[in-house]
Amino acid sequence: MSRQVYAVGSVTNAMRGKEWLGRHGITAFVGRVPPDSRVGCGYTLTVTDDFERAETLLREAGIPVRAVK
Amino acid sequence: MIYLDNAATTWPKPPCVEKAMRRALAEYGANPGRGGHAMSLATAQMVYRCREQAAAFFGLGRPERVVFCANTTAALNLALKSLAAEGGRIVISDMEHNSVTRPLESVKNRVDVAPVGRTPKETLRHFERCVRPDTVAVACLHASNVFGTVLPIAQIGHMARRRGLIFAVDAAQTAGVLPISMEKMDIDLLCVPGHKGLYGPPGTGLLLCGERYTPRPLMQGGSGVESLSPHPPAALPERLECGTLNTVGICGLSAAFEWLLAGDTAARYHTEWQKTAYLYRRLSAVPGIRLYTPPPRLFWQAPLLSVNLRGMSSETLAAALDAEGVAVRAGLHCSPAAHRHMGTLPDGTVRLAPSVWTSPADIERVVQILYKISKK
Repeated sequence: MSRQVYAVGSVTNAMRGKEWLGRHGITAFVGRVPPDSRVGCGYTLTVTDDFERAETLLREAGIPVRAVK
Repeated sequence: MIYLDNAATTWPKPPCVEKAMRRALAEYGANPGRGGHAMSLATAQMVYRCREQAAAFFGLGRPERVVFCANTTAALNLALKSLAAEGGRIVISDMEHNSVTRPLESVKNRVDVAPVGRTPKETLRHFERCVRPDTVAVACLHASNVFGTVLPIAQIGHMARRRGLIFAVDAAQTAGVLPISMEKMDIDLLCVPGHKGLYGPPGTGLLLCGERYTPRPLMQGGSGVESLSPHPPAALPERLECGTLNTVGICGLSAAFEWLLAGDTAARYHTEWQKTAYLYRRLSAVPGIRLYTPPPRLFWQAPLLSVNLRGMSSETLAAALDAEGVAVRAGLHCSPAAHRHMGTLPDGTVRLAPSVWTSPADIERVVQILYKISKK
């Protein structure tokens, strides 16, 4: 199954992003930034579908998004 | 016991608050925003839910700009010390709590004091007159914690917004009691206790930040994000929330919000105002009782009254009430400015503050006790 992981910074951003995507019919999962990241600690949102729309929605909500995988 | 010390902290709390706090210890025991395991994420979700509730309750569109603090004092320190660091002048009222005056003491030569007037219009005029070309902010209480006098914060907020000033409000006595909308009242920084009119647990407070101003951090430390940087993260709420959050308290506060949101703030206030007005009326007839404010006007009086009994110090009267099973607070209520305004220094007053749990029978009993004490 394909998936896209977005680093979103704080856990608050992650929860907000998950809630926001959920409201738009996109399921997201909260996780930790993978070990190869260079930003230090932080959280990710993983989506398995509708990647482009998910990223657009997150950016619209003012959530800083960086695709990591 | 008849508990009339609700302006210090409300008691009892709704049963759902205690239940939620027990649940927090059992189910939300992990540290939110630190780990990635299931309980940490569940706790983070619970914390975020409380941010959403607070944002909705106070008319702030951005839950991530709700910052958890230990109490209103901590929220005010964050807001005011940051505003003071901007370098301009700050306008406050002459009835502020020490939580406003003390954080500004070191910059008092840049603080202008607007007297609270006899009418809201007069108060607004006094605030307007205090604004100078180098004023950067207006900071004031919503209602006096000693006399219950409500300030026209919507009008002050609109005036501040028109002049490009930041508006910070100390809502210690009004959050959960009077309707507050940051958006409609042009409030930029709202400082709120979780444990008074919101009926949450002690040790909880909130700083709600509008989009026009992000306070500087007072403390630095672990925030669970951008750990490689030597600086705090730029984004709220983590920017102002270093260290572990009071998750048990936040869970209790979330339950309190749910309880409050099931009702209507304006309707709840109306009931509390009726009790306060009744208490005022009955106290007016007690020989030797002095009341310091006019009869409570709807929406212009927080549910609390200050009194004294002729020939007795406020502390003696409070002790006499305590001996009869009535809990009140005497003295200066950490607000010498308000007492200076009303001429009640140095002895202060006895403050009686009903809550949603106070019954007419409780009020009548307190009045009868005061009759008894006055005859001694």
